[in-house]
Amino acid sequence: MHWQPNPGATLNSQILAEACACAEGLGGAKDGRWRTAMTFYRPMPRDSSAPPADVPRDFLGLALHDRPDTYFFILRAHRLVLHADASIQAIMEKLQSYKARVVFNFEGFQYKLGDFRLRVGKCVPSMAETLRGIMMEVEYLPLSSIEKSRQILEEFFDIWQEALAKKSLPGHFIHIESNFADYGLQDHYTSQHTAVQYATCMAQLMAAVRS
Amino acid sequence: MERPGARGAADRRHQDRSRPAPRGALRRRLRPTPPLRPHRPPHHRRGGLHAPPLPGPPGPRQLEDSGVLNPSLKSRGNSWGLHMPLVCPDGAVVAYAWKRQLAGQAGASAVDRTRLALKAFTDQKRRFFPHLEDDLLNHHGESGIAKRLCSSQVLPMSKELVEGKTLADILKNLEHEVPNIRILTYQRRDWSKRASLLSSSVDENHVDPSKEQNLHNWKKLRSASVDQIAVIELLMPSIFRAVVSLHLAGSVNPDAVAFFSPNEGGDYIHSRGISVHHVFRLVTEHADKALQYYLSVDPNNSLPLLLCWICSYQTLFAKVCSKCGRLLMMDKTLALLLPPVHRPYFLTSSVKGQSSDLTKAYHIGCSSEEI
Repeated sequence: MHWQPNPGATLNSQILAEACACAEGLGGAKDGRWRTAMTFYRPMPRDSSAPPADVPRDFLGLALHDRPDTYFFILRAHRLVLHADASIQAIMEKLQSYKARVVFNFEGFQYKLGDFRLRVGKCVPSMAETLRGIMMEVEYLPLSSIEKSRQILEEFFDIWQEALAKKSLPGHFIHIESNFADYGLQDHYTSQHTAVQYATCMAQLMAAVRS
Repeated sequence: MERPGARGAADRRHQDRSRPAPRGALRRRLRPTPPLRPHRPPHHRRGGLHAPPLPGPPGPRQLEDSGVLNPSLKSRGNSWGLHMPLVCPDGAVVAYAWKRQLAGQAGASAVDRTRLALKAFTDQKRRFFPHLEDDLLNHHGESGIAKRLCSSQVLPMSKELVEGKTLADILKNLEHEVPNIRILTYQRRDWSKRASLLSSSVDENHVDPSKEQNLHNWKKLRSASVDQIAVIELLMPSIFRAVVSLHLAGSVNPDAVAFFSPNEGGDYIHSRGISVHHVFRLVTEHADKALQYYLSVDPNNSLPLLLCWICSYQTLFAKVCSKCGRLLMMDKTLALLLPPVHRPYFLTSSVKGQSSDLTKAYHIGCSSEEI
């Protein structure tokens, strides 16, 4: 879920602090920090001419917090997601076919609320301190089926919104569904699903800040 | 087998030889022992040396009136010079003659002593526990009490659930009634292999269980193998995995049940294991109560009742609470967000026979005493 600020309102760290306080208020136990890094790649032409048109321009790389040995690639326009060993980053550095344009870090605190795991964090570029967005990740641990857990997660989201509404913050969290079927993903939830969700969330976040 | 009392008696044996003893009684004088109470077997008594003095020993008439010294006992022949029960010269009554016998170093053999002890215990039991069935050898002492407790709660037997139904019949009926469930059966030692296999399949790749099902599909087992079934796994795909163990392999007596997430794997997955997830831990606790209830109220049909009840949990993450109408709720006592984990298990009589109402679901806080 990403944070949609009210029209005219600005993002600030206070919102993040309030969201963390809300998680604790629901009985959440702080479970450490987390960080996920998203890299926007741009193609590097071998020669000085412009790159061919069919080379994808929205090439995303993702290093997930709980999968340190794996690196995920997403091509949103082509609805492709794949994963490789984490050493692929070193290979890409050597190949120089794609260069990292900008890296965003999603980082914050992790909470355990019974059978739910909550990650509340901010989105900051790695080379700057500006806050680009606030987002959160919710996982219901006993289930792996997206269909079967849909109702539970929707109700959790309602409870969360209710609790947060009491703080009168200038904005609210929005959940945008990712279309996993487009990417060829099944009902059984995997880290590839998470990668797709991050890509969707990132796009929404940037659109929210721009507007 | 020496006892302090006996030792004490042996010491005093030499003290009073001159005193004439009644016919059949041993020539000894014992310090008066306290009267026997029903709940204290005599070998626990600290009688003999330190017994408190009695108000007065009962005379033979009193013994007859109290039923201790009855005509049948008196008329028994003295096979080795002992009456049952013994009346000592001082009037003390010893119901367990084997104790005196040992003290008196009578020449009875072990068989005689055992027979005497058995007779003594039987008589005592008949006297002090008349409501129990007189069938020591078949251990019906305890079940007699259990039967008495059950008789006040027995509900009319269902016509459909017949006594003596086999395990295969029960599983077949369950498959028919609950088509979503996947039933797998195991011998006791095979289950640990299965549990370990589950842990290796808990990763990104969703293992196709059809292969395993072929191995453990109970329908394909020969009748001899059905007798070895000790663990039943009920898998509701993507919702839960329940493990039920049977008391004797091949029987229809469940003795433990536990619920787990279908993603869980490892050695702790068994009928007495505990899930890592709160929701399944709480369902397991509730299932323990349901199992004990079915065993006490309808032991012959406890397995089909339990299995049916387990299958009602297929709606664990979909069915809203019948009281508050919500799916997820914060339990104030546990401080956890939970779906309705309670399903009623109490049996009610209906036209079709005994059944539990499997249509309701309750949060822990919403469920009433009747559940």
